[in-house]
Amino acid sequence: MISSLSDAIDVRDLRKTYGRGASQQVALDGVAFQLRRGERLAYLGPNGAGKTTMIRCLSGRTRPSSGEITLMGQPIDHADTRSALGLVPQEIALYEDLTTRENLAAFGRLHGLRRRQLRQQVQWALDWTGLADRANELVGTFSGGMKRRVNLACGVMHEPSVLLLDEPTVGVDPQSRQRIFSMLHELNERGTSILLTTHHLDEAESQCDRIVIVDAGRVVAAGSFDELLDQTIGIDRTVHVYLRQRLRGHDNDALARLSSSVQVRPGEDVIQARMSEIAMELPRLMDAVLEAGYEVRDVDVQSPSLHHVFLHLTGHGLRD
Amino acid sequence: MIWQVIEIHLRRLRHNRMEWLLAFVVPIAFFSIFALIFTRGVGSTPRVKVVLVNDCQPIESTGDDLTHTVLDLVPEKAERIMEHLRQAEGLRVMPETDEGAETMVRRGSATIAIVLTRHEDDVAARLLNDASDEVASQVVTALVTRAFMQADFPGTASEDGGTSEAASDDTASENQNAFGRFVSTLSTGEVSRTEDDAIAGANSVPFAAAGDFGRIRMPKIDVVNVLGQSKSNPVISVYAAGIAVMFLLFGATNGGGMLLEERENQTLERLLSSQMTMDHLLLGKWFYLTLLGCVQVTIMFVWAQFAFGLDLVGHLDGFLMMTVVTAAAASSFGLFLATLCQTRGQLNGLSVVLVLTMSALGGSMVPRYVMSETLREAGLWTFNAWALDGYDKVFWRDLPPSDLGPQLGVLMATAFGLLVLSRILAIRWEYS
Repeated sequence: MISSLSDAIDVRDLRKTYGRGASQQVALDGVAFQLRRGERLAYLGPNGAGKTTMIRCLSGRTRPSSGEITLMGQPIDHADTRSALGLVPQEIALYEDLTTRENLAAFGRLHGLRRRQLRQQVQWALDWTGLADRANELVGTFSGGMKRRVNLACGVMHEPSVLLLDEPTVGVDPQSRQRIFSMLHELNERGTSILLTTHHLDEAESQCDRIVIVDAGRVVAAGSFDELLDQTIGIDRTVHVYLRQRLRGHDNDALARLSSSVQVRPGEDVIQARMSEIAMELPRLMDAVLEAGYEVRDVDVQSPSLHHVFLHLTGHGLRD
Repeated sequence: MIWQVIEIHLRRLRHNRMEWLLAFVVPIAFFSIFALIFTRGVGSTPRVKVVLVNDCQPIESTGDDLTHTVLDLVPEKAERIMEHLRQAEGLRVMPETDEGAETMVRRGSATIAIVLTRHEDDVAARLLNDASDEVASQVVTALVTRAFMQADFPGTASEDGGTSEAASDDTASENQNAFGRFVSTLSTGEVSRTEDDAIAGANSVPFAAAGDFGRIRMPKIDVVNVLGQSKSNPVISVYAAGIAVMFLLFGATNGGGMLLEERENQTLERLLSSQMTMDHLLLGKWFYLTLLGCVQVTIMFVWAQFAFGLDLVGHLDGFLMMTVVTAAAASSFGLFLATLCQTRGQLNGLSVVLVLTMSALGGSMVPRYVMSETLREAGLWTFNAWALDGYDKVFWRDLPPSDLGPQLGVLMATAFGLLVLSRILAIRWEYS
């Protein structure tokens, strides 16, 4: 019996190592996080951080070395949990020489759907993906975005409580990405908890309720986007004021006195400042610049993004 | 630019071991296999399995007929012929069993039974032949002829090149002269059929020469095909089975490759995260490949019946038994190779090498009776050989299913063993 009170997924002190002795590699090093019911959680990290290992552990395809995973309050290897879980792999895990309808029916049957229920779910999936008019065409003839939609539909045919998505939008155009996320939103509205990995940080920021960032097998930050900002780079916006002239040395002090966070470097044609109250601070800076005799060429205001948080937490070094 | 293309392909070739194997090693390997088969470069020359029967018993004599007893030299000559045949290098003499010589030929225990009989006041030979071996009857006829000559003329060259100590110089000289005249006659083609040959029947091969060359008379040797005489197309079942089994193996390895495709595109992940287990997956694929193999072989034999007159309907029980176990073994082989390999490319290369090698050694390409003893024994490590032997028993020898025990047993054991090995190898994909 699946508990109705517990988190959708609860991962505690999960550890996974490969190899032995000196050649031992630690893929997961005490990972802990929760996916709450009805939540959309982004699981982010650079290459080699252990994201795929985590997805494999959650889907029961890899046995952790130690630690505990519960799905709806039950151990992950419990018989009831398989039907509660849907998996959408990163690759197009479909039979390309079957039609859309045949693929949907095949994966529906694998999850125990039969007869009327199967027919209903296939029809729902065809409508949901917008591929009802292509139901009897071979999947192998589809575009990348269409295959992605079928790939997603095959993972949710059995209406799982929890859906694991491993980079669901890799290699698709912006229109298809938008469509896929609207499909996921619809699914989430129906109560499905979603955990996804992605390298599109803007997707994670805009489409997910919470974010877990991992690096080298460990969770380095977790929370909502605002919470991550508070924990890392803060909510200050970055302002660049581009000038038509290069900065002179003698008036720099006057500009710098406006705020301690204004960076003025003689010889450059740009002033950089961090502002927490931009509505008050930006007009003051602009007035000072004009009074000092400079002409403004452009102004750029950058809000802090998940991209900045991610690089702040995981660094700029290549991981491959 | 052309050089750039060449360079790119040379660099790709350098990194692709399987392409190396297929381009350079496989052709040499196959050339060597066929060279060994046709030059018999490995092991002994193929020897024909024969069973010897001496029906030339002494005539029962009464006290009133002492003269006849004294002149009856036939049993003694027959015994000499038997002795020469036993010593012939080209023959492997099988001990006669209770089932009788002809039955031994029918069951495949011997290729030819050499039966020495009394013909007037001389010895004649009947060769009870299995016509599926198109070479054996000619070899044995020649060896029997030589044995007759050696029995008639102790002074002629013996097997080891020496002369019989018992022959006197005069006798030896006379024999050599007569033998010379005989050989000369043979070389000018003046050999004719005897009257008895005419009654030998359409499926027998009469071989006799008339004429008196001093003491030489051409021996009377009748070749009677005890197997194949009623077949409308004697070798068609052999070729149908050989080609069917070879393509069954290709089909099974190709089908097994679907498992690797599923692994490569992560469909396997998806399948195993559903209610399906690896046991379900492997057994499902095994049953599918076995069913497909059965249909594949059946279509081949149905076509052979319609187009070439093979009697499929008359051998349906044995055919079905052999087809099911052969398809099952081929399916297990395909799954075993698939689980052994890491990629589809590896599987393609390995399957081509193994299937062609097994088919060459196992008799799918060249009949095993032309191979040396060593290659024939090596062929028993392929299940082509066992499958072909089974089909041979069904269609050629008309044996009942109860005689298929060894073939069914080996193929079933192969099917089971390889399936278990596949399951063990697939554990690495199940959990990691």
